[in-house]
Amino acid sequence: MSVLGAEIRRDMEIRRYPLLVYALVPLGALVLQAWLPRVVGQYDWFDLPLVVTIYFALGRRNPLQGTIMGAAMGLFQDALSHNAIGVNGMAKTVVGFLAGSVGIRVDVDNHIIRVLLNFALSLLSSAVYLFVVRFLLGLSVDWNGLTELLRAVGNALIALVLFPLLDRLQVRE
Amino acid sequence: MESFISRYRNLVVLLALLVVQLFGLAVQVRRTTGGSSTLGGADPGAVRLIRLWANAVISPPERLIHSSRMATVYLWANYIDLVHVRRQNQDLEKTVGRLRLEEAALLEDARQGERLQALLGFQQKYIYSTLAAQVYGSSGSDRSHVFYIDKGWHDGLRPDMAVITEEGIVGKVRDVFPHTAQVLAVNDATSGAGVILETTRIRGILRGDAVGQLEVVGVTADQRIQPGEHVLTAGGDLIFPRGLHVGVVKKVVRDPDRDGLVDIILTPAAALDRLDEVLVITSTEPRFSPQQEQDLAASASEESAVPSGIKDQMKASEIMAEKLPGLIDPNLPPDKQPLNDSSNPNPAAQPPQPLHPDEFSPSADDDSGASPEAGSTPKTRNSSAAVNSGGTPTPALKQTPQRNP
Repeated sequence: MSVLGAEIRRDMEIRRYPLLVYALVPLGALVLQAWLPRVVGQYDWFDLPLVVTIYFALGRRNPLQGTIMGAAMGLFQDALSHNAIGVNGMAKTVVGFLAGSVGIRVDVDNHIIRVLLNFALSLLSSAVYLFVVRFLLGLSVDWNGLTELLRAVGNALIALVLFPLLDRLQVRE
Repeated sequence: MESFISRYRNLVVLLALLVVQLFGLAVQVRRTTGGSSTLGGADPGAVRLIRLWANAVISPPERLIHSSRMATVYLWANYIDLVHVRRQNQDLEKTVGRLRLEEAALLEDARQGERLQALLGFQQKYIYSTLAAQVYGSSGSDRSHVFYIDKGWHDGLRPDMAVITEEGIVGKVRDVFPHTAQVLAVNDATSGAGVILETTRIRGILRGDAVGQLEVVGVTADQRIQPGEHVLTAGGDLIFPRGLHVGVVKKVVRDPDRDGLVDIILTPAAALDRLDEVLVITSTEPRFSPQQEQDLAASASEESAVPSGIKDQMKASEIMAEKLPGLIDPNLPPDKQPLNDSSNPNPAAQPPQPLHPDEFSPSADDDSGASPEAGSTPKTRNSSAAVNSGGTPTPALKQTPQRNP
């Protein structure tokens, strides 16, 4: 009985969004990620597709959906760059899976938890990226730890602002 | 089995996606002969298709946002933010007047320079055809310094064309789509261009570092390299024409990997992270204006005047030679030459041997190594000349075609 109660509670807490939001928000994140660096110059310490992936994976509390969304976002980013297609895809696939898995166990409405999760998962994404490029592919890569740290901080701050805005788009029953 | 998959569905999907992407990466990465891995220069067909699709999805909204921003900036700059415009206009008019005078002088120098270089047959490449393009987007990642421009295959763009601004070089066209193109910026770590320091003439390879700074790598440590020196393209990479501005030396740091070498950090001449409009060099073949071609033609005629005079002199000597008979006919075998012809009533006289040879007498050694005339006394030299039947003296070693009587 107690297990059933937990299932019901979990179902109640799963966030649902209009179909258009699932299409437009990731697309908007990809477009802005490609466009904004030209406006902010060298201060592009953010990864909007990653933030959106984490948001939907946490909100939906579904590792499967988080995995697929992460893979799609990462592959799109790779396709827009001149790097090998699949590096970002693998990094964000892992992040999406973990965010969806963590979302089942934590209170995703808590802002501090969201910010900390974004920070940690951003660093994890960078670590997976480095691992794939350097160790799996054997490519030489220049790495700047400070930039990755700043990117994680930037993602956390963007999540702090963006997540409440996206919360407003969910379907209320 | 089915229960296993359904139970571990999430993990199975995760692993499946990771394995598929890993296989995709393995296709794209190649091993070099040195044993290191590298991404191939050109994308495989499937990868190129994925890039094309991604570009087709992202480009339209990105260009829409870019156009909206440009329109807003235009409205603000041209219709709202007009404070001090009148004064600026007056200053600019004065500047234009001064520049016109300077331009007139420079134009004359430029014409003269082009004329001289064309005449001397320099192989130096010039930029004669460029295409303006708007930058509307980037890769969105600081690990990939590429940006997108709104001109593509249909506009005549091709891979490896140089991209510049008025300030300096920017990058090269990497991937060309029907209406857009991807440009690899010079500050990317995978980029490369040959450069030369303007004053010290030290050469190096330009590339980008991890944070997108421009650096010249592989330079031998030299005290003469000082901050503030200008760096230009060297022209040896077959992409950038030589002499284009690259940047200014910011500082010199030791190469962490190689002793005795330094890396030169540059301040880029072009604002690489805030590009709006760029020029793509579509042709480096010379295309002169009608006035320039007229100047070149006039110069060419002046240049050809000297050789034509020499040609006239040569013709005169040939005519003279044809009129004079010779002793060597190139069309006859050696034993039939007029010099050896016993039927000749006036054979060429052989130089008499000296009765008392001294150091000035021609010897066998002299004959083998020097010309007959060089070792002959005036007397023998005169005697070596044949006299034809008409009594006309004939040069003994004449090589031109001759007609014997």
